[in-house]
Amino acid sequence: MSKCRIPLGPFHPLLEEAEFFDIKVEGEKVVDIEMETGWMHRGHEKISETKSYTQSIFLVERICGICSTSHPFAAAHAMEDVDNVEIPERAQYIRIFIGEMERIHSHLLWLGLAGHFIGYDTLWMWAWKYREPVLQIFEKVSGNRNHYAMFRVGGVSRDFDNALIPEIHPTLDMLEKKMLMIAGAAQDDPVLRSRLKGVGVLTKEAAINYCATGPTARASGVDIDVRRDDGLEYDLVDFPVRVLHNGDVYDKLVVRVLEIIDSVNIVRQCLEAFPKVGGEYLNKVKHISPGEGIGRYEAPRGEVFHYIRSDGSNRPLRHKVRAPSFSNIPTYKASCVGIPLADALITLAAVDPCYCCTERSIRVVDKNNKKLEHNLLTMSREKTANLKKAVAGSEKTPIDRIFED
Amino acid sequence: MSDKDTEFFEKFQDKITRVIKKPRRIYFNIKNEDLWEIADYLFNTMGCRLSICTATEVYDGLEVLYHFSDDTTGIYYNPRVKTGLENPEINSIAPMIAGANWIEREMYDLFGIMFKGHPDLKKLLTINSPHFGEDDHPMRFNRNRTKEK
Repeated sequence: MSKCRIPLGPFHPLLEEAEFFDIKVEGEKVVDIEMETGWMHRGHEKISETKSYTQSIFLVERICGICSTSHPFAAAHAMEDVDNVEIPERAQYIRIFIGEMERIHSHLLWLGLAGHFIGYDTLWMWAWKYREPVLQIFEKVSGNRNHYAMFRVGGVSRDFDNALIPEIHPTLDMLEKKMLMIAGAAQDDPVLRSRLKGVGVLTKEAAINYCATGPTARASGVDIDVRRDDGLEYDLVDFPVRVLHNGDVYDKLVVRVLEIIDSVNIVRQCLEAFPKVGGEYLNKVKHISPGEGIGRYEAPRGEVFHYIRSDGSNRPLRHKVRAPSFSNIPTYKASCVGIPLADALITLAAVDPCYCCTERSIRVVDKNNKKLEHNLLTMSREKTANLKKAVAGSEKTPIDRIFED
Repeated sequence: MSDKDTEFFEKFQDKITRVIKKPRRIYFNIKNEDLWEIADYLFNTMGCRLSICTATEVYDGLEVLYHFSDDTTGIYYNPRVKTGLENPEINSIAPMIAGANWIEREMYDLFGIMFKGHPDLKKLLTINSPHFGEDDHPMRFNRNRTKEK
């Protein structure tokens, strides 16, 4: 069978920033995939060398729009690592609170979009409905729905208002209940299972060889979590590390749903601690001595890495930034080959790149030189619809039953 | 310090110079010809993960700092390899570690370091940029910059 080359990108709703995928297919099957990046290179590392340390933290917050707090978290760690700055206990709890609330809304965003891509729009609307109260809590706590500007070297920039605790608890209870319901639906629903189970498998060996991080690695059986391995703030709270072993899209979904429930529990521990732990929330650092520092943080997508090299002035000599997607995106090469084109969409999305661009349809020329227009999103949805008919028949799925109630 | 750590430094004590030890972070200098052996030991024997590499231009050359993370103990091993300012060249570890492929391409792109033995060395980030040509490496100071057109 002759090979056909399908360009995906550089602007496509599935890709974080703008990347170009060159997919080679034989019939429906993907046989090779090549990637090209660099459409959104903004030179943050170079800009950071011209900013003071406090300004750098605000700068790196703008790298990602969804997990905006993970870069300041890691950058602050790196700057503190140069001098081993100690952070007040209250500031540590505030940092955990912000980080975990962000993990909840980032995973909910992924969950919704994953549902949307496979044609499960009910899941999409639910997940985004439950995401909204989380953003409203952020607005109350920090004044912003996104880009919270909470981080400083040596602590946080604003105190947490203890009067907000009674308002946050009902949202957490609601989130936990709804997440258990979605976890149950994912387990019971035959369509969701057969659409995602065994799709886009990333083996443990490939995950280790490609140096994957975060939920992508944990769903493949690699037991890493920076929160546990690096300690620091997260030594104050208890949480499990969720590791699953199949490496398919279904396991990546389950890992994320379980992590939302864990994050809710961590936030509860923080809320319990806030009235007990008082005192300072910022240890004012006036000078960073010459040296090197490494900081990292478990963002919703994986390990964020920052390296700071200081010469004793108020600006970094070198500021290296590595986002988790940089190591997760190349795993496509291992997981996409050999699967149908309709599944390539959800496999590309399963690594959780950010979605900020517009939809793009693909154009293929057939034997008679006529234009065939396909839309990957429609193809993926059609597959789910056919599966739904075949599996469920006339019976109603659990999701339909809940929707009727 | 863990046992793995002591074992590593005993094994390579002739090849490692200028060790800086901080809590959970170890920086040390190695030579270019020992890079493959040390990276092989760190990645395959000790089970470390290659997080990223940082290239830096300093007054007497270019430095590449490899960040190997031992996820069982939380320790970072950072071997540092130095090369000259003119025609910088370092041995590639991409044939051994698939994750190093993009990392080395990024350093080639921004700093112009040639990685010897890399399977497919081409630009990563500025490949489609209209402002940079094939010989332009934007993170270098005063060298190979694009002239104003």
